[in-house]
Amino acid sequence: MSTTSSQAPQSGTPEKHALDGIFSPQSVAVLGVTPTPGTVPYDIFHNILSSGYRGTVYPVAPGKRSICAVKAYRYVLDIEDEVDQAVIVYPANVVERALEQCGRKGIKSVIVISAGFREVGPEGIKREQRIKDICKEYGISMVGPNCLGVINTDPKVQLNASFARKMPAAGRIAFLSQSGALCTAVLDYAREKAIGFSKFVSFGNKAGVTEIELFDYLHKDPATDIILLYLEELRDGRGLMEAARRVTRGEHAKPILAIKSGRTPQGADAASSHTGSLAGEDAVCDAVFREAGIIRVSSIEQMFNSAVMYTYQPMPSNDRLAIVTNAGGPGVMATDAAVGCGLSIPRFAQSTTEKLKQALPDTANVKNPVDVIGDARADRYDAALEAVLEDPNVDQALVILTPQSMTDIEAIAEGICRVHENAKKPIACSFMGASDVQPGIQLLQQSHIPHYILPEWACEAMSDIQKIRHWRQQSIDEPKRMPVDKATAERIIYAAEPGYLNEDEALDVMKAYGLPVPEHRLAKSVDEAVAAAEQIGYPAVLRVVSHQIIHKSEVKGVALDLPDANAVSQAYETMLKNVAKMAPDATIDGILVRGMIPTGYEIILGGKRDPVFGPTIMFGLGGIYVALFKDVTFALAPMDEGTADRMIHQVKACDLLEGARGGACANIDSVRDCLVRVGQLISDFDRIGELDVNPLIAGPAKIGNMVADVRIRITE
Amino acid sequence: MERSELESRIKKVICQVLDISEDMIAMDNHFVFDLGAESTQSVELVAAFEAEFDIEMDDDSALAVDTVGGAVEYIGKYV
Repeated sequence: MSTTSSQAPQSGTPEKHALDGIFSPQSVAVLGVTPTPGTVPYDIFHNILSSGYRGTVYPVAPGKRSICAVKAYRYVLDIEDEVDQAVIVYPANVVERALEQCGRKGIKSVIVISAGFREVGPEGIKREQRIKDICKEYGISMVGPNCLGVINTDPKVQLNASFARKMPAAGRIAFLSQSGALCTAVLDYAREKAIGFSKFVSFGNKAGVTEIELFDYLHKDPATDIILLYLEELRDGRGLMEAARRVTRGEHAKPILAIKSGRTPQGADAASSHTGSLAGEDAVCDAVFREAGIIRVSSIEQMFNSAVMYTYQPMPSNDRLAIVTNAGGPGVMATDAAVGCGLSIPRFAQSTTEKLKQALPDTANVKNPVDVIGDARADRYDAALEAVLEDPNVDQALVILTPQSMTDIEAIAEGICRVHENAKKPIACSFMGASDVQPGIQLLQQSHIPHYILPEWACEAMSDIQKIRHWRQQSIDEPKRMPVDKATAERIIYAAEPGYLNEDEALDVMKAYGLPVPEHRLAKSVDEAVAAAEQIGYPAVLRVVSHQIIHKSEVKGVALDLPDANAVSQAYETMLKNVAKMAPDATIDGILVRGMIPTGYEIILGGKRDPVFGPTIMFGLGGIYVALFKDVTFALAPMDEGTADRMIHQVKACDLLEGARGGACANIDSVRDCLVRVGQLISDFDRIGELDVNPLIAGPAKIGNMVADVRIRITE
Repeated sequence: MERSELESRIKKVICQVLDISEDMIAMDNHFVFDLGAESTQSVELVAAFEAEFDIEMDDDSALAVDTVGGAVEYIGKYV
């Protein structure tokens, strides 16, 4: 990345940034403009002219004297002046030539609108690589290709370098999208809801500038309070997490709300064919977003509902919600929704109840949710809203209105606006309906009071604000390094051929990393097996060891609870016969002898090297329940103890470990310790492709845990 | 047909369709990047070449020709 050499207009960004030339150029050349209205090349040029852009714009249109009465140039190299930014709208097959000329002209910021790159297959992938190479050669920051463009509403810049139909209103929200088409729909949606933007970026195939650089820019952008992101494909999961943490925490923290499409396998397939995306495993993505402080939302509606709440209202100090309504049913629905998404409905202080009793008729409900009764006019709403906002047990208020014959909608809205002017706590409204309530909604929106057609949406938005608040309070430590015997693990792992380690080797690796493993010996004869059992103690367990046998039980390669030497001897012989019959091609490396493991809760600690996120750790209910209940969660490795602790508390099985319904409590400290150690192990060795500790027997607090089975797959 | 005559007639067609002057045109010029052809004009160029030389070209391969020199080579095979 390089900074622009020109003096960018005062867009509000105090210090120079590599993306200043993208958002605040002094001059823009549009390459490939045509004189035909209704085409992308013409519309982009026309949008820059008509948006009131404060800089200079040059059309590059071979063979044309002028475009829209502006002198045209055959090549960008023909422009006499310095040019800060180029917008390339040529067909894909000549983008390289255009970009090359931009490089020679010294242009450091380029937006490539053109499609026909990696999203169209192998030829497009090669073409995209070539333009990336040109950008690298000339130090160009490139947005796109295959994008809608960039909009900066800053009045000192006023740049609409996109083919969106209209320039959006100025606002405090930055919107970033990998999908250009979604951008146009969002702009239309936002206009209807009177939502403004600070920056609006479609970054398409993200061959150059990605969401990570954009996060960094917007973090420093004084015009932006919150960042909204639509993402189809993640390529650098760790980079995203680190960048998001920088943005969402600290002194100038800004929330990030994101939609990551491709939640379902079918959705991921659609994403692949749409922008050439390869969606990462959604559950891992979910976990990474959570650990990065990115609020993952499921719809555009939720995204903007929450963004408006954050942008227009103060941050509440806690999660306690007061509801004021003129209808019982919606009040109950709102209460259910609020509780369902983690908000609390507090009891009012006595003084508040007294105030409500004085202001409301006897039939009103003065408890939370407050029912001001169907015939309520503005005076009742005013009094109730003021009273609940003054209550020390209340952190925020939701006002619900249903349009009844005597409901003075506009007067009530005006009253809420008056209360809002002096309020220090957030207020949201839900004027339920569509047509009759519209004048009231407009008044609320003009006063920047968030309005939601359904009270459930208001609760969801308030809940997202709580997530932002919690995230800012959450401590994050550096990954913890445990004392381990790395040399022993290294010797085993690097000596192994690709494939699964034998069980004895895998147990030795686990032991080297401090996980509790049962005492074990590898026996190669009956005598060795009996001697081992005598040493370890009875009852004994025998398990066949072979690189070719993954599922031991399926070939009768496991014998449990053997009480004495005779039983061990018999089981050994029988096992060899059975395995020889059921897996005749397998090479038997020996029989593992170990003791029985005490019963406890079966949990799984898994590890996987994800192509997008790198080493990841899975935790959840183990044994046969893994596939059945899928009660698992993920995090990136290595991890700190706080992350391990959150993983444990994210799964439903945590209740079991904590002794639900009178059950024994597991040693959760020890489980957390195991998680951190497994994370350290997979992070330390690139050759570990996957590992499964399944089950780890989580015994009662005094006994601790024991690895009952482990598989480690070694890669090339 | 002499190559010089072929080039001259091709340039004349290009000038007419793209509404540009002949002195702009060089043999290595790209129809889009150097001469400003829009996508619809590519189709018009093929039709105009066919009319000028009274030939019928394969549409796909004709549209794949992207330079003036390439057009001279391509049309030369038909005339």
